[in-house]
Amino acid sequence: MKYLDVPHFARLNTFLDTVDVGNYVVCGGLEAYSCKLAGLDKKLSRSLDEEIQMESPPSVLAESPVGPTGESASRKTLIYLILTLNHALPDYDFSQLRAHHFKRELDLSLLEETVQRHLSEIAKVWESAPDVNDLSFLESVRKAIDEAIELNSCEVYQYRPDVDADLFDDEGKLWSFAYLFYNRKLKRTVMFGCRGVSKIARRKSATLCSDSSDTESDVDYGMAAEMDV
Amino acid sequence: MAQTPEQLVLGVARKNPEGASDAILERELADLLTVEQRANAINSLLQTGRLQLFSSGTGLVYKEVDLNVAIKFRGLGTEELLVYQVVEQSRNSGIWTKEMKSKTGLAQPQLTKILKNLETRQLVKTFRPVENKTRKMYILYSLEPAEHLTGGAWYTDMEKDTEFIEVLQEACFRVINHRGLASLADIADFIRSKNLSRVDLSNSNIKSIVDTLIYDGRVDEVEGSSGVQYRSALLQLPDSSALTSVPCGVCPVFNECRPGGIVSPESCIYYDKWLDF
Repeated sequence: MKYLDVPHFARLNTFLDTVDVGNYVVCGGLEAYSCKLAGLDKKLSRSLDEEIQMESPPSVLAESPVGPTGESASRKTLIYLILTLNHALPDYDFSQLRAHHFKRELDLSLLEETVQRHLSEIAKVWESAPDVNDLSFLESVRKAIDEAIELNSCEVYQYRPDVDADLFDDEGKLWSFAYLFYNRKLKRTVMFGCRGVSKIARRKSATLCSDSSDTESDVDYGMAAEMDV
Repeated sequence: MAQTPEQLVLGVARKNPEGASDAILERELADLLTVEQRANAINSLLQTGRLQLFSSGTGLVYKEVDLNVAIKFRGLGTEELLVYQVVEQSRNSGIWTKEMKSKTGLAQPQLTKILKNLETRQLVKTFRPVENKTRKMYILYSLEPAEHLTGGAWYTDMEKDTEFIEVLQEACFRVINHRGLASLADIADFIRSKNLSRVDLSNSNIKSIVDTLIYDGRVDEVEGSSGVQYRSALLQLPDSSALTSVPCGVCPVFNECRPGGIVSPESCIYYDKWLDF
């Protein structure tokens, strides 16, 4: 998967990297990838395709959130979702995930509700920012995602981790969510993930939100572009 | 056929597997090599990884490194060696890539490349711990992750193998029942003789199984003169007893009840209903 540099994402990511809302901190980000497979990705995609096929029930109509697993298109969707997660979160390996770990979100208003519920506090911070923020936070996110991947022609999935396979396992994590957008025609995916982490816990572990050290917070995302994986 | 200085030095190191000190090398090679030749040979062997320097109780010693091992390390840069060391230090707990980044200060793309290199050379390998199944952990190629990370004998492919545990439980129970009184050693021998397990089961593994039988009330532990033994339980844990169905257990006015009071056992309506066969 090739990392795509989306300027509007960069701006939102700088904001979302760490947002202090009083007694907890929100960390999140948006990442876009093109479904171009090379090298290790291709190998993984082939082996996953075989495994998923073997694990599927014999009936071609075996339904799953990504579509019937008997169909190669559904398997491809699942593989792109897994690869997106692998690239966005390089400290983890999601190749064991299967279709039941994702929930197809047909109604975007549910997504908006979840985002609103968790991020209403940071929306306030966004609106009080010194630079020109004429759109609300939610609208800015929607606009940015739409520009990157044409929201209306996307399939939207929510990641539903098992208890022991959580997306963000920060100490003192209060909540988290991760949505994956997939545009079949454009062959692109976008991941939008956020988590709320208690400040008390983070004071104990003196590392910041970003997975790498303090000074390289946005390098983590950007550098992914240079990876020839 | 004359041997090169390097071969001579290696020969001495080979004869001294616990390590050849400079003194030993000097003594053995004084007639064959000049000090300079010896020093150059030692340096070149250290460079190519055929010789390794260790500090022992008495000072510094040189040890021969197996050719296959030396090949694996050949050409590794300082950063790769740093990553290798970090993984080595984690022994059989392994280490998460996130921790590796903070310990080595390397950025993600660099680390990925280095790990790919080390993996190809079979110096490190990945594994996934049962507690955080998605974390990317690395461990030295030659080591196995500690039991608490892989689940040990009770996990197969990261899933708890309940069938396996049940099979073992029944087998243990049968031995104990059959013999009347059995020690852990007796049980262990029987289990191993029946080849019920694909993996080696330690005595403490078997004890865990026997313990579950004790907790389930099927087996009793008996302390005798010859140590702890097990016998089939004399008193089975009943599924329920009459006491569990006594109305007092779920009575809403239990706290107000006393003989002679407004609410009393003698006037209890729940008892009337219960005893009304």
